[in-house]
Amino acid sequence: MTMLSVRGLSISFGGVRALSDVSFEVGAGNIVGIIGPNGAGKTTLLNTISGLNRPSAGEIALDGVSIAGRRPTEIAKLGLARTFQMSQLFPGMTVLENVMTGLHLRTRAGVFAAAFRSRSMREEEEATAQKAWEALRYVGMERFAHQPGTALSFGQQRMIEIARTLISEPNLVLLDEPAVGLSVNRVAELGRLLRRIRDEKGVTLIMIEHVVRLVMGVCDRVLVLNYGVKIAEGKPEQVVADPRVIEAYLGSEFDAARRAS
Amino acid sequence: MFGNRQFLILLFAALAIVPAVANPYILYICNLGMLYIILALGLNILVGYAGQFALANAAMFGIGAYGAGLLQVKLGAPYFLAAPGGAILAMLVGTIIVFPALRLSGIYLGLSTLAFAMFSQWVLLHWNSVTFGGGGFPAPHLDLSPLPIGPDLGIYFLSWIVTIALVAFAWSLVRSRIGRSFVAVRDGEIAAQSLGIDLLRYKGLAFAISGFYAGTAGALYAPLLGYVSPEGFDLFQMIIQKSMIVVGGMGSVLGSVLGAVVMVTVLELLRAFKSTQEIVFGAILIVFVMFRPRGLVTLLQRLPGWEEPLSSFDSRRMLARAAAHVSEPGSPRYPAGRDLVDESRP
Repeated sequence: MTMLSVRGLSISFGGVRALSDVSFEVGAGNIVGIIGPNGAGKTTLLNTISGLNRPSAGEIALDGVSIAGRRPTEIAKLGLARTFQMSQLFPGMTVLENVMTGLHLRTRAGVFAAAFRSRSMREEEEATAQKAWEALRYVGMERFAHQPGTALSFGQQRMIEIARTLISEPNLVLLDEPAVGLSVNRVAELGRLLRRIRDEKGVTLIMIEHVVRLVMGVCDRVLVLNYGVKIAEGKPEQVVADPRVIEAYLGSEFDAARRAS
Repeated sequence: MFGNRQFLILLFAALAIVPAVANPYILYICNLGMLYIILALGLNILVGYAGQFALANAAMFGIGAYGAGLLQVKLGAPYFLAAPGGAILAMLVGTIIVFPALRLSGIYLGLSTLAFAMFSQWVLLHWNSVTFGGGGFPAPHLDLSPLPIGPDLGIYFLSWIVTIALVAFAWSLVRSRIGRSFVAVRDGEIAAQSLGIDLLRYKGLAFAISGFYAGTAGALYAPLLGYVSPEGFDLFQMIIQKSMIVVGGMGSVLGSVLGAVVMVTVLELLRAFKSTQEIVFGAILIVFVMFRPRGLVTLLQRLPGWEEPLSSFDSRRMLARAAAHVSEPGSPRYPAGRDLVDESRP
């Protein structure tokens, strides 16, 4: 079953073509890595899928529903959640409150229910706090629940962002460089967490990642972008051996030298 | 424990006793102080919580006062219809400002809303046939007959009730998913959208609530003063309100109350030196922005019982219970993620 299908996606900013004719499919329950040199269009691709950018051309379907050009809020309603390259925790909230906002779309209380503290509103608040705490525990961050999120390290903030996406029970989560800020020996544990999220919660994951070991370790498939064009796609070990990929990262001279030796 | 809740109860209990012990002048000042509590709360929800740097609340205050006054004078509406009418009118006008706020932020939003406030001031001054122009018009005092309560006491206790209701309303509202959505919009529009928080809806809601608060204060101000004229709703009025939330504490309900109480007191102490009011207000604003940008309330928030969470649920107690539940045998554990990341700060 296909969770996400992208067909002929192109986007231009002024005269710059950030993505041209990118097509791929992501099966439900897969972990897909997106790699490529800086400026290849990886973040642009995630931003376009999540609705922050409007595509110039092409089709995006999430679980069979067309989402190209829709607003981020509508796409979030269809079960897409994401994390960001730079931490996007809300500085004015504690860690727990941050994670509680992840449940926004699944809670109902309106202005009057909130203002008059209706019974259903209070029950909803309790359930929200409970779920947020469980999500924090899932990523091992519950002891920071009452601290302001921005006081934590980048790596810890990323974990809390992951908890904030999980709480909404999404179908698809986009992760933009989740291993940034993690020390080398923690990356493997992040990999185990991502696998667990997929296995236990059935969430499909797409991640941009530069840490090759993580990509090799957890991704079922890898997509390589260079100058906005998809240059390779396949199993991780195939992709990293692909001459086009090596050329994109290191230049053709390196590849030639490698072959010659 | 004496926390922010007890402080508010004590404050309003004290305000309830004021009429029995104070002279009419002190009564008037206390009444004015309550209206400023409403104004500061309304502005703080918009600026402090939702992060929309708008400068039109003085105009909303004026629209509320004019709306309530004119509905009585021109159409002969009874006060208890005219007052909500004025508040709702201010709410509607306030809501319209959300449309520039979707495109503009920061100082640009400030300038465009300031332009709106100037324009509404101009309308009050020049639309003579409706607004009576620059001279204003006398607004009826509150007539509660046949109840044996005079107009001064009547408007005082009406203000008291309305202020308590609006403080309680704000207090609950910010501790809900609505309040959290406001803060999310303030702290990160992109992340907020990705979580499904609709910017138009929540900015609109913040402008509407803020307009309603300012309009309500206006509708109480007309009978309190017995006169409505454009000069009370000018730029200085905006500076007064802004300095209240800066001095009290941005993004804090208690800070709004504290700021209003402190600044009304300062305003009255300077009454004898009228020309110094603007200078002193400007100086206080600069000093606070430089040395205590989050206001007086930060001094108190270090004490237990003075925190202002964004959830109406006592999550600390809940967490203790949840932790107990987790340690029960058979419940799932996920120790793998426990020490996932470094403790070190970046």
